[in-house]
Amino acid sequence: MLRFVAREAGRLALGLIGAALLAAAIAGLALPHAEDGLFSFLFAWGRTLDAFVSLDFGRSAISGEGAFADVWQRLPLTLGLVGEGFAIALVVGIPVGLLFGAGPARRAASPIIQIVSAAPIFCAGLALAWAVANLLGWPVTLDSGIKSDLALWPRDPAQLQALLLPVLTVGLAGAAAAQLALRRAGAEASGEAWRVELRRLGLTAWDIETGHVMPRLIAGLLAGLGEVMLALLSAAAVAEWVFNYAGAADLFVKSVALHDWAVVAPVLFAFAALTLIAEFVGRVAAHPLSDRGGAP
Amino acid sequence: MTAPRVAPSLHGVLRIIGWVGLGLIAVAVSLSDFLATAPADATAVGPLLAAPTEVFRFGTDILGRDMFSETLHGLADTIRSALPGALTTLFAGALFGFVAARMPRPFALGLRGFMGIMAAIPALLLAILMIGLTARGWAGIAAGLSAAPIAFVRAFERAQRQERAPHSAYARATGISAGTLMRRDLVYEFTDTFLSSAARALAAVTIVLSTVSFLGFGAVPPHRDLGLMIAAAKPYLLHAWWTAAFPAAALVVVILFARLAAGLDEGERA
Repeated sequence: MLRFVAREAGRLALGLIGAALLAAAIAGLALPHAEDGLFSFLFAWGRTLDAFVSLDFGRSAISGEGAFADVWQRLPLTLGLVGEGFAIALVVGIPVGLLFGAGPARRAASPIIQIVSAAPIFCAGLALAWAVANLLGWPVTLDSGIKSDLALWPRDPAQLQALLLPVLTVGLAGAAAAQLALRRAGAEASGEAWRVELRRLGLTAWDIETGHVMPRLIAGLLAGLGEVMLALLSAAAVAEWVFNYAGAADLFVKSVALHDWAVVAPVLFAFAALTLIAEFVGRVAAHPLSDRGGAP
Repeated sequence: MTAPRVAPSLHGVLRIIGWVGLGLIAVAVSLSDFLATAPADATAVGPLLAAPTEVFRFGTDILGRDMFSETLHGLADTIRSALPGALTTLFAGALFGFVAARMPRPFALGLRGFMGIMAAIPALLLAILMIGLTARGWAGIAAGLSAAPIAFVRAFERAQRQERAPHSAYARATGISAGTLMRRDLVYEFTDTFLSSAARALAAVTIVLSTVSFLGFGAVPPHRDLGLMIAAAKPYLLHAWWTAAFPAAALVVVILFARLAAGLDEGERA
């Protein structure tokens, strides 16, 4: 186990170093003359790396503030959306994955899940906004163009209504990834020969499901944590744009449009790091469970 | 004596439906100028923001454009931009990943590591970054390149599994060169997975491309693809649903058929 964790930690460290190198290459574009040719770019990249080592992430060309401070200010909203979306993803994804994992339930739900999977996040977000505005009468503003802050811990119904739309959009995107990871693990476990052997040894179906199959399912879900995180981050970027919230993903979109590369780099690094860490945590947590679930 | 007839599986039937659907979309796209009742971006064709009627089946938008014609033109623009992107994903991702796995080990692992890092960044943000570094006219290729890392990783792992397969061990033991073995595996990879990889790439690229257009990084007006049409309809969505609903439905249909043609599982990432 320790060897496995050490190997995975090594992979994570290499991934983070690679992401930092990529971020430095992008931030280097903010330096004067970086786009003059290959050697100028490599020189700018080297200078940015040197600055990164001394924790200097450059300044935003738009706000004049430190790039890291700009991102640090916006990141909590995105992380909050991702965190609350993750909770929704588990609440929706786990029952869907378990209930519609196999048999007639899967065949019945298959067309609906296929159609839902084919809808891009922004279409799902807009459909949700239309539905709550017209069917539930909630106040929804899509056209203000003014970016606002979002209360991640709502204190009144109005704040809860404002929060639910982006969180549901992000959560449903994560739920699709979570239910898929569960269904795949379930399909794998259902074909295993040890199930029959355990029955022959006298174990009841309940014992097999809870003691041997369930750990496999949880391991499958954990192993897919990186995919879930990727889905949540993509959805957060879209949800912030659709519902006009000033998070880190919204900052990324604006900064790319304005070629503010010093700000683009830390956002990109933060998102890549989140996915890599989620993959690492998922793999490490899944490892003992997948060992435990097998044949006795 | 005739061979016994084997009933196609549900999976096979769905894939056929997917390809037939994509074929119909290709016909609609190639005939879009004939099927549409108004030219692209023709304003004041009807009243402003008219709901769907017998005359304007999909209604009209804020500039009086016929939504049926606009959706057809938008669909054509989306598909025309997505096709080069899908080819990019296919070659820079699926094919390159397969070949990279057979390269000298340090080089292969280095490439795999780099692509793994790129795959850790949401494809949408990667596409936006690439468009920011180049130009909006490159949106299709940028969407293709942003979807390539995931395709690369999948193909790389498939190639590694093949390399460990018994047939590879036998081939090596009988003195068949690594180059010959790779050519053999590549031919099988190409014939077995080309169509499903192409459909999968089309689905992935269409999602990324329409989303970057929605965020303002894709199609440049007056050319409007489906993502840009939906973005333009956003301010009126709550009281004029048809301005966004029909372009969105067209987009979902394209992605759905591409997913079915690729044989993707429910909820599986394209």
